[in-house]
Amino acid sequence: MSSQLILGLDTSGPHCAAALIDGDTILRAHGEDMARGQAERLMDLLEEVLAAEGKSWSDLSALAVGTGPGNFTGIRIGVSAARGLALGLKIPAYGVTGFEARAHVSPTSARIAIPAPRDMVYVSDDQGTRIIPAADVTDAAPNPTPADLATGAALHAAHLWPATPEPPAPFYVRAPDAAPARDAPPRILT
Amino acid sequence: MMTPTQTLLGIESSCDDTAAAVVRGAPGDMHVLSSVVFGQAELHADFGGVVPEIAARAHAERLDVSIAAALEQADLGLDQIDAIAVTCGPGLIGGVVSGVMMAKGLSAATGLPLYGVNHLAGHALTPRLTDGVAFPYLMLLVSGGHCQFLIAHGPDKFERLGGTIDDAPGEAFDKVARLLGLGQPGGPAIEAISAHGNAVRFAFPRPLANKPGCDLSFSGLKTAVLRARDDLVAAQEGLHASDQADLAASFQAAVRDSLVGKSARALEAYLALNPHQPMFCVAGGVAANMAIRAGLEAVSSDLSVRFLAPPLSLCTDNAAMIAAAGIEQMAVRGPDGMALSARPRMPLDTERAGMLGSGKKGAKA
Repeated sequence: MSSQLILGLDTSGPHCAAALIDGDTILRAHGEDMARGQAERLMDLLEEVLAAEGKSWSDLSALAVGTGPGNFTGIRIGVSAARGLALGLKIPAYGVTGFEARAHVSPTSARIAIPAPRDMVYVSDDQGTRIIPAADVTDAAPNPTPADLATGAALHAAHLWPATPEPPAPFYVRAPDAAPARDAPPRILT
Repeated sequence: MMTPTQTLLGIESSCDDTAAAVVRGAPGDMHVLSSVVFGQAELHADFGGVVPEIAARAHAERLDVSIAAALEQADLGLDQIDAIAVTCGPGLIGGVVSGVMMAKGLSAATGLPLYGVNHLAGHALTPRLTDGVAFPYLMLLVSGGHCQFLIAHGPDKFERLGGTIDDAPGEAFDKVARLLGLGQPGGPAIEAISAHGNAVRFAFPRPLANKPGCDLSFSGLKTAVLRARDDLVAAQEGLHASDQADLAASFQAAVRDSLVGKSARALEAYLALNPHQPMFCVAGGVAANMAIRAGLEAVSSDLSVRFLAPPLSLCTDNAAMIAAAGIEQMAVRGPDGMALSARPRMPLDTERAGMLGSGKKGAKA
């Protein structure tokens, strides 16, 4: 079987993570916890993972990026980098949600609950994707490590490749925080 | 030494325009091969201003589309580009981060050198792109987010003479347009209705007019317009069309007078350098206002200084100015690495204390 090298990346939480897989074989996965500085660290981390396996950008067949839900800025960092890499390398970039990625690396019996601010979690079921109190989920799967998240994203993409994907887009779940203008215009007299 | 011709891809996403462009040339001798701007006005229309999170979301999904469009319009592939220039600040951080990461991804994928460019340097170097203006020249940058006088000494050397201590004039135009029940963006709406208005009916303040230096203030002017409007509304339960026009015209005249008065001071400081070919350039969306432009042109001509306002498409936010700034700067410095930061605050003149937001996070601009 010819090589099908996929680089997965995830910055949807307080971390930077990458995983390199060939088909279903995990070559290398690496994650670093960080509350800030993902934008500065991500590209070097990706190049380090490639270099550690003796690979370069041009060896890649596809990219996979975690699209969240999670930290808005974090998922935009990953998605923007992946879209830039995809445009430059002329290879597909697959957007993989945190639910899809976790399904590849979590026990199948547990419920996937993705951490959200203020003791809430994102869940996804037949009622859709929403935010509920973390305490309401008693059978939650343990949150995977950043390296596992990137691995899950890459494994998910491996099953989609070589189909042409929609460009990866952040999976926000929450609407943007914006209030309509308050100041009512004056009445115009005729 | 002859500087070789370079072809740069520029990327801009610091406010509410997603832009990409291709510019070719050498410092002071450049031309625009393509310039694509995807505006977001319709996305923010209901909110009375640019909503940072909405802007950030739009940038993240439009940047690569705008880059592909700019390359296609220039009829070039990435393999025919020499370097990538991207706005790395100041601006709304969500958009700036997306632009910087997009540029890093492209740079890593292609091996092209990456240049992080200050958005304000892009505006300030636009006269080099449009007219090859020689350094040093005086620059008034006046837009929805910025207002400052700069002397451009070189591609990466700017001296700020002064600027607004609170709001930018473009912001004031938008706000006043809303107060008067006019449409957005406020600049064109106020300019249009002012043509029928009495500019001396309301005596609005010209803040800091009698203070030395080139600093400006527009926040009190906004409040004065609000008070005058509220007085009229209280007296007659609304505004007549003539009130709208007179308030707008009086406001516009106050902004014009403030800018013109401080321009005279800035020109004085600039002319003390004895520039060989004195030139006063203006950039930013507010430069599109013909009343303001005429006032600036007049004060410039009084002092025998040539006046230059680039075409509107290169005055407002665009990526051609970022690519051009990249061409200018790559002649004097090396590229940035993959650790390039996106910065919400990024003063152009690092030698002077910032005017805005001089709190613990440092100057904004």
